[in-house]
Amino acid sequence: MRPRAVAASAAAPALNRPAAVRARLTTLATIIRRQPLGAVGAVIVFALVVVALLAPLLAPHGPKETGFAPYLPPSAAFPMGTDQIGRDVLSRVVWGARLSLYVGLTSVLIGVTLGGLWGVVTAYVGGAPDSGSQRVVDSLMALPPIILALALMAALGQSVNNVVLALLLLLVPTAARTVRAVALSVKEFPFVEAATAAGCSHTRVVVRHILPNCLATYIVLVTTNVSYAIVVEASLSFIGAGAPPDEPSWGGMLTAGTQAIENAPWLVFFPGVAISLAVFGLNLLGDAIRDLADPRLRGGLG
Amino acid sequence: MKIRAVLLALLCGALAVPAGVVAQDKPRYGGILNWFDYGDPGRLDVHAESPLVVQQATAGVYSGLLHWDPDDPSKIAPDLAERWTVSPDGKTYTFHLRKGVKWHDGQPFTSADVKASFDRMLAPDFKSPKCGASLKPLVASVEATDASTVQFTLKAPVSYFTGAIASAWCRVAAKHVLEKYGDLNRPEAQIGTGPFKFKKYDRGSVIEWEKNKDYFIPGLPYLDGVKQYILVGGPTQVAAAKAGRIMLWDAWPPMRKTQADEVKNARGDDVEIYRWPINTIFVLYMNSKRAPFDNPDMRRAVFLAVDRQDLVAKALEGAGVPCAILDPKLVGDFALPLEEVNKTPGCRQSKEADLAEAEKLVKKHHPNGVDIEVAVRQVGNYVDRAQLVIAQLRKIGIRGTLKTHESAAGYASFGKGDFQMIASQDRAMDGTDPGDVFHVVYHTNAGSNYAQLSEAKVDELTDRAARETNRDKRKQLYWELQRHILTSGTTGAVPVAWVEGFFFRDKKLRGYKPALTTYDGNTFMKAWLAQ
Repeated sequence: MRPRAVAASAAAPALNRPAAVRARLTTLATIIRRQPLGAVGAVIVFALVVVALLAPLLAPHGPKETGFAPYLPPSAAFPMGTDQIGRDVLSRVVWGARLSLYVGLTSVLIGVTLGGLWGVVTAYVGGAPDSGSQRVVDSLMALPPIILALALMAALGQSVNNVVLALLLLLVPTAARTVRAVALSVKEFPFVEAATAAGCSHTRVVVRHILPNCLATYIVLVTTNVSYAIVVEASLSFIGAGAPPDEPSWGGMLTAGTQAIENAPWLVFFPGVAISLAVFGLNLLGDAIRDLADPRLRGGLG
Repeated sequence: MKIRAVLLALLCGALAVPAGVVAQDKPRYGGILNWFDYGDPGRLDVHAESPLVVQQATAGVYSGLLHWDPDDPSKIAPDLAERWTVSPDGKTYTFHLRKGVKWHDGQPFTSADVKASFDRMLAPDFKSPKCGASLKPLVASVEATDASTVQFTLKAPVSYFTGAIASAWCRVAAKHVLEKYGDLNRPEAQIGTGPFKFKKYDRGSVIEWEKNKDYFIPGLPYLDGVKQYILVGGPTQVAAAKAGRIMLWDAWPPMRKTQADEVKNARGDDVEIYRWPINTIFVLYMNSKRAPFDNPDMRRAVFLAVDRQDLVAKALEGAGVPCAILDPKLVGDFALPLEEVNKTPGCRQSKEADLAEAEKLVKKHHPNGVDIEVAVRQVGNYVDRAQLVIAQLRKIGIRGTLKTHESAAGYASFGKGDFQMIASQDRAMDGTDPGDVFHVVYHTNAGSNYAQLSEAKVDELTDRAARETNRDKRKQLYWELQRHILTSGTTGAVPVAWVEGFFFRDKKLRGYKPALTTYDGNTFMKAWLAQ
């Protein structure tokens, strides 16, 4: 499919541009019509990414700047109020988007990639190594996720990058298990047999034939796990084991807010809304991508 | 002592302590007082431990030779000793014990029990961080001259000996119990002579006392018992207070203004909220044995830059006395007048001149600024305080990274000197003597000299003032000491503020008065519940 599309656009350059744009818009409109919730999710995620990228421009103050009176309620000067030590909540929520996305994306991209590769390789190799590696995955998955992350944070100390490490430990086994299941079925397809019969090396079989056919699962895993990672980061920070307290983490802001929930409800309201909105958007987008990647669901919806 | 009584009266007026706290009606018998501990004590040996929760857990079970009067917390009153005399040279104190006192297990109380308890705490190889630590430098020997007389011989006459003996940590335990169990850690070893018997200890949940019907003061106590729920964390404690599950909040950590407002909103006129000093100083420590604070210039830079008023306004919500090494509300004119304190470098407002000088000092040694680790225990609102300190120091080129410790782990690493800066550590005094803070924080041998700084002048003045019996001369020595620390600015322990806090009492609870230290006044021997 892909090479043909490239050839077509190369053969008809400038002349057909409006038509091409129109065609793309039509495709987009079709996707939106088929996946309206996914489109809403995409808008939320896009907004989240923009806020995260432009945090230094959007935030009126520094996230750690303490120069204001504490517990100021939302007003024109401080649209989300100030916190218990006089920091602007809006600025911290904005910078919190950057921290959440950083943790969510890095941990998921690295974790799912490593886990995916692990799954594909062990599925292809099979036998004792596969079964042995699956027992490792079993044992990792048997541990309650938050406890495992907590123990790791206690051992490594509080830092944003250690949260990422803790998340990797949670994400790698899940990704390995899921991708392995897909790779096991792909491995049985005739084209893999054909490639092996044609004398392809193991590496070539895995890289050229099995991996590309696991890509849809990989993409779905990435999109659905980012929100999971954000929630785990917020939970760890909420119980005081995640990002250091001065970092603008939404979960950490919630903890501080619970101390004065009655008198200063804005301290929990705004970070709470931010977490919910981000997770909601990412879940909608993730579901839509999963539906689009699954031919059976795609047919059903069409 | 007179001055303390006057001060307390002024303090009650100034802080608008509710009349109900002081008022007395006709006491009523019966009822259980519900109270709380901020943590699980785990160990119960009041001679060998130092956390407030250990003292609270056992407070009503034991008696001391003397104690701070529950009716007038500024006065020392007899407890197991019915009277005492001092030799003319001031070196021998003779305590005449009450007769007919019985331990909770029915055994008679004698002078041998007093000797066994104090010998235990004074033994050189026995770690007694509170009573033992304060008495070891003072007491040469303890002798039981007969069954109801005990004699303490001091190494040198000191003016505050009876105050030290009256500490809530200097409790008398039974000799036969110490011999049977070896220590006082187990619940079954809690055999005292106090107004309440130790009834039950459910780890992490509740501690219960029941009325001692054979208490040596006839007619006391009024309560049938006391229940202390173990409530960890501010939100849990506030929730219990709002729900009416606890009737008193009188100990560390104090409520912040916002929490007090929540309780007031929920309980309305059923409770009285009062602001009270808790004889606790908020200190910022710099490790004088490690870079960059092994350099006196760097310590002075921090001393100048820390904005005490900002910390009190934000982290203590205004409830504190900034800058002072001694709080006049607690020790009267032993404290340097606040007008003078407030003009000293580092304290004076505005901060511009001090910040400029501090920045110059940092630049002199670290032209590109310096990175440090700012440690803090994760208790109370220490983490908030640390974040404020970090923001303040950033202005002079000191870039702090926050490192948080679990409470006990923090103590362990601070004790080993494994830190550069501790942003916030509250140190509670055991008594109300002006010398306490120097013995706790500033003297080379002080238990909380985490800065590990040894200054000959500080030691010499502290020791001289402790021995001085003439009140005026003593005052002059403490003024000189305070001036030295506040003007040199090279101390490793910056006095940020004396902490005050908000507390509440259910109006049904009567016959209880807040004490001048966070450790005293917790026996509830005269407390009662109105209908």
